[in-house]
Amino acid sequence: MDDVQGIVVENSRVVTGYYLITIRLVKSFGKVLPGQFVMLRIPRNTVFLRRPFSIYNYKTRLLSIMYKVVGIGTEALSTLHRDEKVYVLGPLGRGFKKSARRKAILIAGGIGIAGLHLLAKELRQRAVIYFGCESKKEVALLYDLREEMNIYVSTMDGTYGYKGTVVDLLKNRLETIPYNKMEIYACGPEPMLKALKNIIGDIRISCQILVEERMACGLGLCFGCVKKTMDEKEPYKRLCTEGPVFDIWEISL
Amino acid sequence: MYRRTGFRHMGNLSIKLLGKDIKNPVMNASGTLGYGKEITRLWNIETLGVYVTKGLSIKPHHGNPPPRVWEEKQGMINSIGLQNVGIECFFSEYFPFFKKKKTPVIVNFFGFTEEEYVACARMIEPHPLIIALEMNLSCPNIKKGGISFGKEAGGVYDIVRKVKAVTEIPVIAKLTPEVKDIVEIARAAYEGGADGFTLINTMPVLALDREKRLPVFRGGFSGPALKPIALKAVYSVYKEVPVPIIGAGGIIDYKDAIDFFTAGATAIQVGTATFIDPYSIPKIIQGIKDHMKEYRISTIEDITGCAHE
Repeated sequence: MDDVQGIVVENSRVVTGYYLITIRLVKSFGKVLPGQFVMLRIPRNTVFLRRPFSIYNYKTRLLSIMYKVVGIGTEALSTLHRDEKVYVLGPLGRGFKKSARRKAILIAGGIGIAGLHLLAKELRQRAVIYFGCESKKEVALLYDLREEMNIYVSTMDGTYGYKGTVVDLLKNRLETIPYNKMEIYACGPEPMLKALKNIIGDIRISCQILVEERMACGLGLCFGCVKKTMDEKEPYKRLCTEGPVFDIWEISL
Repeated sequence: MYRRTGFRHMGNLSIKLLGKDIKNPVMNASGTLGYGKEITRLWNIETLGVYVTKGLSIKPHHGNPPPRVWEEKQGMINSIGLQNVGIECFFSEYFPFFKKKKTPVIVNFFGFTEEEYVACARMIEPHPLIIALEMNLSCPNIKKGGISFGKEAGGVYDIVRKVKAVTEIPVIAKLTPEVKDIVEIARAAYEGGADGFTLINTMPVLALDREKRLPVFRGGFSGPALKPIALKAVYSVYKEVPVPIIGAGGIIDYKDAIDFFTAGATAIQVGTATFIDPYSIPKIIQGIKDHMKEYRISTIEDITGCAHE
């Protein structure tokens, strides 16, 4: 783990409002685990703090991040062009714990797919993806996974796949899933994670979630990025060091 | 202008602070370097002149619900709410690490009442590595019963005097900039027995939601925009109170650090800069050394307060 300089190779739009940036690092990150993140220093004077992003892909010093434009930071990030220099601190945080024997269900809501992509690439045929989004256009976020994996899609407006939330889609199929042999990995907006926790509450299937919070240092120094836990003795845990992957039963949603 | 001295021994970073020899004048600001171990993934803790602890209380404190950080132009707002493991846990779990690394420590502490401040000071045993206790008289994120410590001279005098009465360790008062006259507060703390000052803490501020047209975040502001405010506080207090000042507020690079020394600071603390560049502290230490060599300054003491001449 280190603060490594990188050079933007490509920063292109996947679909309106969503981008994929690829950065060539001058020095290797070493081993990267699915679910880990980086703190990116965006070279624009409108942005003060670094920004945390899930590692979308990493291979031989090529780092990619898929992101949605949601505010000042991501807007500035979308203006970076080829050959610009950035600083990337990483890889940070605890990644997903992979079970060697169990099959996996990956549940992603919208840009949440960015946090599960690397895991999907590693699990391949051992995993199925449940992907939920607003409308047909966001299905493009599945990108290269579309050809390689078994995917169930839901859209809120019904323009593609099941009409409704991704958790409702999963709920309808839950009986067909041998859940004692399964593991769930989820990343998406909080209402999605909350709904997921509700429907699996009775079966207590193993489930890891990748969560986000406003962050300052990314290194565990400032205690800025905490999540509320179920543990009364330690009600706030740092997302950057104790997370960003947590057991769903550990976090108060 | 700097006082120029001979050619030899230029760039000696060591300072004398509260009777102790410290290898360099750079510390972290309380709460910006975790419990110390976290940063050792990037650099050695021995790099620091002094490690300043996260604000500690008599019992563990859970802090505020998220979000706890907010971005502004040229700075950030935090509302951590002083989450910490408590004094007892710090000394059993984390202090042995500093002993092993022989790194001097300033213990920052706070209470919700005067009695709690006194109880904290009592709990902390003297140790050769503990340079001082830093009293947080200024956290903008904690208020109980409408009392905000550190804003009124009489209250500051009382609380410092009571803390001084129960400890042999030197006491540093960390002051808030949100006062009418910081010199008056500093004088009161000095009369109460303060052995030094840290100037300044974050500035209480507000952020609004432009759509809802309502407050969206409150907390303490830090970052480069705070620097001139902090610099003036150091400059003003230096002339009036004859104890060492540790400068803090918006220090991003060695140039800021040099400004604080010339304004009157004996040492400096770096906080928010670490979040932007985690190597800020080692870079600032090296930058000060290089600057001293270039300008033929033999010790920090030679330039401390020279802006007043």
